Amino acid sequence: MTGTPEAETFPLAEAQAGLWYAQRLDPANPLFHAGQYIELTGPLDRAAFAAALAQLVEEADALSLRMIDDPAGPRQCLDPAHRPALELIDLADAPDPLAAALADIARDMATPLDPTRDPLAAQRLFVLGPSRHIWQQRVHHLAIDGYGIILLTQRVAELYNAARTGNAPGNPLPSVRVALNEDAAYRASEKRAADGAYWQALFADRPEVASLAAGNPASAFTFHRRAVEIDRAAFARLRALGDRVNVPWPDVVTALAAAYVQRHTATPEVVVGVPFMARMGSAAARVPAMLMNVLPLRVAVPAGAPLADYLTGVARSLTRARRHGRYRSEQLRRDLKLIGGQRRLHGPLINLLPFDEKPRFAGLESRLEVLSTGPVEDITFTFRLHGTDGLRLEVDANPDLYDAGSVEAHAARLAQFIAAASDADTLDTVPTATPEEAHWALVTLNATDHPVPDTTLAALIEARMRETPDAPALRFEGQTLDYATLDARSRALAEALAERGIGREDIVVVALPRSLELVIALLAIIRAGAAYLPVDLAQPDARLARILASASPKLVLAREGDAPRFAGVPVLSPAAWPRDPTGTPLAGPKPGDAAYVIYTSGSTGEPKGVVIEHRAIVNRLEWMREHYAFTPADIILQKTPATFDVSVWEFFLPFLTGCTLVVAPPEAHRDPVALARLIRAEAITTAHFVPSMLAAFLAEPSAQGLSLARVFCSGEELPADLRDRFHRTLKAELHNLYGPTEAAVDVSYWPAARDDRSLSVPIGFPVWNTRLYVLDEQGRPQPPNVAGHLYLGGVQLARFYLGRPDLTAERFVADPHQPGERIYATGDLALIRPDGAVVYLGRSDHQIKIRGLRIELGEIEAAVMASGLVRQAGIVAREDRGTKRIVAYVVPEPGADLAILKARVAAKVPDYMVPAAFVALDALPVNANGKLDRGALPAPDFAGTGQRVPETPTEQRLAALFADQLQLATPIAAEDDFFTLGGDSLAAVALLLRVREAFGRDPGLGALFAQPSVEGFARLIDAEGQGEDSGLDPLITLVAGDPALPPLFAIHPAGGISWCYGRLARALAPRRTVYGLQAPALAPDGAVPSSLEALAADYVARIRAISPEGPYHLLGWSVGGIIAQAMAVRLRDLGCEVGLVVMLDSYPCDVWRGEPDPGEDGALKALIAIAGHDPDRLPALALTRASVLAFLRASDSPLGRLPDAALDGVVRVVAGNNRLVRSHHHRRYDGTITHIRAGLDHQGRHLSPDQWRAYAREVAVIEVPALHAHLTGPEATAHIAPTLARLLAAEDFKEPTCATAV
Amino acid sequence: MAIEPGDITRIVAPAAPITRERMRADIARMLHEDPDEIGGDDSLMDLGLDSMRAMNLVLTWSEGGLELEFSDFAETPTLNGWWALISAKQAARA
Repeated sequence: MTGTPEAETFPLAEAQAGLWYAQRLDPANPLFHAGQYIELTGPLDRAAFAAALAQLVEEADALSLRMIDDPAGPRQCLDPAHRPALELIDLADAPDPLAAALADIARDMATPLDPTRDPLAAQRLFVLGPSRHIWQQRVHHLAIDGYGIILLTQRVAELYNAARTGNAPGNPLPSVRVALNEDAAYRASEKRAADGAYWQALFADRPEVASLAAGNPASAFTFHRRAVEIDRAAFARLRALGDRVNVPWPDVVTALAAAYVQRHTATPEVVVGVPFMARMGSAAARVPAMLMNVLPLRVAVPAGAPLADYLTGVARSLTRARRHGRYRSEQLRRDLKLIGGQRRLHGPLINLLPFDEKPRFAGLESRLEVLSTGPVEDITFTFRLHGTDGLRLEVDANPDLYDAGSVEAHAARLAQFIAAASDADTLDTVPTATPEEAHWALVTLNATDHPVPDTTLAALIEARMRETPDAPALRFEGQTLDYATLDARSRALAEALAERGIGREDIVVVALPRSLELVIALLAIIRAGAAYLPVDLAQPDARLARILASASPKLVLAREGDAPRFAGVPVLSPAAWPRDPTGTPLAGPKPGDAAYVIYTSGSTGEPKGVVIEHRAIVNRLEWMREHYAFTPADIILQKTPATFDVSVWEFFLPFLTGCTLVVAPPEAHRDPVALARLIRAEAITTAHFVPSMLAAFLAEPSAQGLSLARVFCSGEELPADLRDRFHRTLKAELHNLYGPTEAAVDVSYWPAARDDRSLSVPIGFPVWNTRLYVLDEQGRPQPPNVAGHLYLGGVQLARFYLGRPDLTAERFVADPHQPGERIYATGDLALIRPDGAVVYLGRSDHQIKIRGLRIELGEIEAAVMASGLVRQAGIVAREDRGTKRIVAYVVPEPGADLAILKARVAAKVPDYMVPAAFVALDALPVNANGKLDRGALPAPDFAGTGQRVPETPTEQRLAALFADQLQLATPIAAEDDFFTLGGDSLAAVALLLRVREAFGRDPGLGALFAQPSVEGFARLIDAEGQGEDSGLDPLITLVAGDPALPPLFAIHPAGGISWCYGRLARALAPRRTVYGLQAPALAPDGAVPSSLEALAADYVARIRAISPEGPYHLLGWSVGGIIAQAMAVRLRDLGCEVGLVVMLDSYPCDVWRGEPDPGEDGALKALIAIAGHDPDRLPALALTRASVLAFLRASDSPLGRLPDAALDGVVRVVAGNNRLVRSHHHRRYDGTITHIRAGLDHQGRHLSPDQWRAYAREVAVIEVPALHAHLTGPEATAHIAPTLARLLAAEDFKEPTCATAV
Repeated sequence: MAIEPGDITRIVAPAAPITRERMRADIARMLHEDPDEIGGDDSLMDLGLDSMRAMNLVLTWSEGGLELEFSDFAETPTLNGWWALISAKQAARA
């Protein structure tokens, strides 16, 4: 320590205090150095220079400050020992003296220091040669600001010049004490209080602060810098403009840079930071010290405003800000409680240095390089005047938030923006993107020209059908049609249509469930030359009628029973379809003819019919076929409803490729269990999922490990974590596609591969012959990473909205960048990444998507208003507790009965558009602009209306699951309906997963839709339980799996019940049938067998009855393992093939024989343990049958739901098993026992798998980190299931060997 | 006639030296004020002048070749203070 204890200490100035804490929080950060160097060319008088510097450090005593970390707050003192002496570094002999000096400087600048210990400043002179020197200054930001460095430099030049010329050197620089005294005086002044009040009032509404990049603005250890020259002529124009409007040109530049920032944030207002010297008119004006402040400047950029008005407005704000500019922005942050996290006061910094900082040394040329001006938290735009008419822009940016490319882009783009603005009357005419960026976005990225035959879907498919007549074309629920049959049947129907006069440009409605007939119908319609129109029979008659009225179809293909829904239109039902073609020639379609018409939700309440032509859909399908290299070996799943345009490629791509289409059963598309089964059973290679359904599918245990060639997602945003979960769960490529119905299914693609790290998964790049534009409000292309409106162009655009030229004109507009072409306004917001991939950002209107279904809130609003029950309605999609739901807020008509409102709405819109809740309000809250104030709308109350408290154990348990799934705090009544409580079909899928876990059975999704109330669904669960297996039968099916795989038999542990294996059984992939063996003695009249051998023989007989052929895989937990070994011996006796014999932590009877029979107490304790509780932690529980049974009833164990008689049976079985084990003597099994050991258990007890070695040829041990009692729990199952699946697979593919034992 | 070194400064010096009244007028224009309202010892900051406008003025006055340091002007922002700085510089060049 060099300071003396007597040294006078001072508190830190307010400006220093902020930096002090920032440096203490980030002590290793070297960016707290301010630094620069000056290259001096010419004959430097080194002695005069050294004398000038010695004089400087004498005057500028801030350079010798030392910080003191005092518990009462930081202080500082002047420490003469810390005064920087000039270091002379002679590099004249270095091979490249300049490079050596710059390397040394870079190293010096990158070395952090401790302001309590190290000198804050350094002055270094590098000798590069006799007439070449570099003078480097480095000063910690605590001691200096940018203006202070200029004062230091100028003073040295002044002293040097005085010595060389003999003139007077001017006044010395005042001491830092002057600045500290000023600071103390200001702190105590009324002026400070008034300044504070000004700022607090200005920021009372705590404006949202946006910047040019997302992320936490905390300075890194380095920064990116790119510099660019502002066009000289433009700068001259700006100065002239400033003179005209009487705004200083630096404020003109600040205002333009703020407008540039606003272009990127797309907010009506931005808050930028403007560094302020805080010295003007103060005694500290010439003190080199840290006094600089950053003023937050609120800038609104009103559209259409004349440039002069905008500039004078910003200049006025700046003048006011400077008037109150000594009030620290750190203090304002504290006043506004913007502390912590990413609450910021301002975005980018705009720093104007309107003077030439280059020092003038007599007889020398000098070149200044500013290295660092302190931490770079976000991005700083610095404008430096050089000479009298040059302006240089430096962009410094935090590398954690900006890559070097985007910094370079900002430098070029801002320079271009300022140059363009210098010539403009209003900023509205100034583009954001540079001409190069515009060309790249409009032309380079959209260079998608690709030859596609000018033909029709019908022609392509007919050619393919003739090529491979015998190949399987279509499979549905076990039936298969080959291409020849599909050709014949679709042609026969096409001929029948033609006979009815149906041909080109006619519309035929298809209203069939998924079936062979549906596919035949679609093919027949397009082969006849007409367009098909799929309709959903689940939608209300009123909406169906509106669609029929708008489309005027010639015919309907529907089932006989549905004919009444189509009054006035002839219906041809499948029973009447001819099967064999007569050979009548078909006219067929032309490439420009309509291929299909799909209706989407319309904002006016009227559904809109989108007409897609053959040329458009042929482009889409040919792109997909070639891009993803589909072959005739592919098997494509058709599961998307025909009314959703994703189905179009599912239906037709297979027939363009010559591969097989597998049509999922009706309703299977929302049942993950059924889908997983179907994908596995049919060896599907290609399937589509809407992301929300994909999430539900991945959660389904039986989907684990499924393997496909590729999975496509579209319809909604694909979240990045879902992409990652996908790759952890399935083996398949994942592709994200995007496109509205108005552009032939999809117009862009992105490979969402395993190594894709995008935080927002892009919608990607345009497909063949397609353009994607991201445009600003004026229709100009946005630069990369800037949000804009997404427009689509190219061959895939729809022809129009059927019969709605008004809507067509609104959305399909002239392409401003390709004369004669059209573009479609998607209403989506997007940006283009620097790599050209487009990222979807959201909607610009009120259209929403729920589970991929496009919904116009306007259509719902129209339906609500048409009910005649309400005066006013506001429809919003809100996300409460993670679930997105539509909620209708209504102001009822006086005396209206709102109970019938839901039914009225449901009669007009499809079920997925019916609001989940209707909330009655006295008035709709509106904001200042008179718009619906969404933030002020109350959360809907999804409480049920039922009265009866759930009674049966199943009802109680199910009600708890409802509440859990829907995150409801209010009690649920027995009559309450899952869907009325806010559930949707995805929540239903998740509920069923829980139901299966809790009850070991699942009546299925269809059953829940049919019986959505607690009492209704509980009844179904109970009925299923009492059906063919009561859950207590000696042999139950835990999982029904692939019949080609030999089943696994799981033998009950001590309690005699094998439900405990359900989780493990469901987690096995591929899905395999797992049977549970349960003690026959559970039945009231069931006898306890005489020996364990007899029990094993009984079980062997049961499994052979259900599965006459081996191999038999056996598994048992605890006592179950002992029985499994005995069964394996018995099976070998009978000459049967035994597969795996797996024990979950079982030990031979020998180790139990010596222990006393635990008796009835022991049996009851075992029962408590089976229910998942530790009996030793329930000392208060009396070990009587009655109290234990009552405890189990009250607990959430499935045992608690057993009838009394069955629980009696369990107690009996536990006791019986204790006896059987003690009297059993193992025989040797001449095979391998796989022993899964509970690795966390058995401390201090001699229990080892080795004890089985006497009773098996081999013992393979697998240890899992679990307790014995938890071996069938979720964590242990996560370890055991994959291992077991692998062992089973290895066993199944083992070459059959001759039995080695007799 | 030989040109002496001392003459060269005179050649590049502004035809019209800066006067106190020109300064008063320049300041008044920046502040949208009448020149009569600018008193010699009035704080220009109190009259609404900010550092950027002051810098702009100093830059304007240095266009004729006077070497002016803004920091000197920042120390004494009054018409009299600034006139003292300018007149001293002009005297040194004369």
